[in-house]
Amino acid sequence: MQRAVWSGFLRSSEKFADRPALFAESKFVKYSELREISCRVAATIQAYRDPAGAPLTAVFAYRSPTAFTGVLGSLLAGNGYVPLNRTFPIERTLIMLERSGCRSIVVDEGSLPQVNKLLETASSPLMVLSPDALDFSSHKQHWPQHTFLAAHELKSAQSWREPSFEIDSIAYLLFTSGSTGVPKGVAVAQRNVTAFVDYMVERYQITESDRLSQMFDMTFDLSVFDMFVAWERGACVFCPSQKTLIKPGKFIKDSELTVWFSVPSTAVFMKQLGMLKPAQYPSLRLSLFCGEPLPVSSAAAWLEAAPNSTLENLYGPTELTIACTLYRWDPSRSPAESELGIVPIGYPYPNMGVLVVDDNLLEVSPGQEGELLMNGPQTSLGYWKDPVRTAAAFIVPPGKGEIYYRTGDRVRRPLGNAPLTHLGRIDSQVKIFGHRVELGEVESKVRDACGCDGVVAVGWPKTDSGFGGVEVFIEGQESPVEKLRSAVARDLPEYMVPRKFHFMDRLPRNANNKYDRKAMQKLLEEGL
Amino acid sequence: MNAVTPDAVQDFLREYVAKYLRGQGREVPADLPDDCDLLLSGYVDSLGLLELMTAIQDHFGSEIDFDQLDAEQMTIVGPLRRFIADQLNKR
Repeated sequence: MQRAVWSGFLRSSEKFADRPALFAESKFVKYSELREISCRVAATIQAYRDPAGAPLTAVFAYRSPTAFTGVLGSLLAGNGYVPLNRTFPIERTLIMLERSGCRSIVVDEGSLPQVNKLLETASSPLMVLSPDALDFSSHKQHWPQHTFLAAHELKSAQSWREPSFEIDSIAYLLFTSGSTGVPKGVAVAQRNVTAFVDYMVERYQITESDRLSQMFDMTFDLSVFDMFVAWERGACVFCPSQKTLIKPGKFIKDSELTVWFSVPSTAVFMKQLGMLKPAQYPSLRLSLFCGEPLPVSSAAAWLEAAPNSTLENLYGPTELTIACTLYRWDPSRSPAESELGIVPIGYPYPNMGVLVVDDNLLEVSPGQEGELLMNGPQTSLGYWKDPVRTAAAFIVPPGKGEIYYRTGDRVRRPLGNAPLTHLGRIDSQVKIFGHRVELGEVESKVRDACGCDGVVAVGWPKTDSGFGGVEVFIEGQESPVEKLRSAVARDLPEYMVPRKFHFMDRLPRNANNKYDRKAMQKLLEEGL
Repeated sequence: MNAVTPDAVQDFLREYVAKYLRGQGREVPADLPDDCDLLLSGYVDSLGLLELMTAIQDHFGSEIDFDQLDAEQMTIVGPLRRFIADQLNKR
């Protein structure tokens, strides 16, 4: 049965009306309160709908209650939401808003100052709605082409009308990051999200007594797990302020979290900062990681610090809706199942199909490496207003009758019942004098040799046929290079041994905090 | 061992922020005044701040008990550099 993504929230808001749905800006928001304001936002969007606009509403809010009422209000109005982030450069936000075609935008107090810049350059009239704004009169004078609605001007919750639900109704439009090129908007349908949420709440047996972390900004799709998995079952989402995020250990303890979900990097830093001492976090019953490779050493340390928890590594690109494979960490079995010091990405969700293919999109034999293709109910609608890139990434492989998404990730096709192991990105495989070199393999050897987790290998210098060698960037303090080189050279053929090691206090990262290999390549091009 | 001065920490912070911003292709500020909030100014995000803490430990070669520093204060240049110098000199 198809259902709207907000149906679980509405059910919980009746069943658990007086329980907290959200903790943000140091206060609890009850289900009944969250529903009331969200319905007012929704009713207002419905009343001022511009039929020429896309069925989307931008949410320009950051870690505030309005961020959440904005998401729910957009959905309850029958629109998908487009998260904007005031910690991003304003130019990027402008591109996202323009490309989306949104005509309505929900803004929180902290993001209001940046809105003026959006209003200056917006090519179409916008409806700006803020439950945090007391007075918009000067805005109204200054920008007569736009509509402004402050807190007291919102429509009543009673005037909200349940929107019609169509098969491809969009839940959200998320722009994938990257240091270069125009961001791509991934359109994810409500049915994609409900397929994901249904499996997650069952697998993890989420109940109203759960307390989930919200470590992810809304511009990162993993935040959808925090919100909609919690609200489906009446649980509470704990959204730390930007400053609280700096002390994740204190946040877990103070909030008595039961469910933790973050990028592995957070665990890596917590380990280095001495925040993963044994049995520190007994309240956690579930620890989930996603978004980048999870080092075996981090998983092991985390489980010691959170001994009552089950630890799972999730994997999935935005195009396949949040996550679509998972692996349960088992201290006795998992180290042997891991490759390159990285925890396996495991097994596909029950309704998702896996295909591991070669360059010609033909399935490789079990045990062989190839690109991971996946399909199933979480396959998103594709790239917003970009049929060319959609057709390139969402393809029908030879001999198959269904659309698969090309993840660009290199995996090993499992032998027997082995888990899928992630070996790197397709584009992280380079040719060095004709040899195929997986940069992830070089990184893994360097990680072992120097004891640092932050290691990125880059093909360099460029040649006509690929690259002349490999150079490595290491996040951390400079250590003797000769020792490092000889340690790595024991395990790698000569052409894979890094020619240079660059030590940096911090490696370049993209907007989602993933290491940015392209930025490092650029540093080399510019002679560092 | 020589005492670590707040100025030495300041130099390290300035260098770190400069590298961070250059890595993202962004403009580097001429100075980091004491009242500059690294987080609110957008120089460093929260995960970046955790990295900064590990970089400080690595650079000055000592474990620092960041639990002692208030989360509101630890992103502001002045209190941060004085705290780190104090911690390092207590060893």
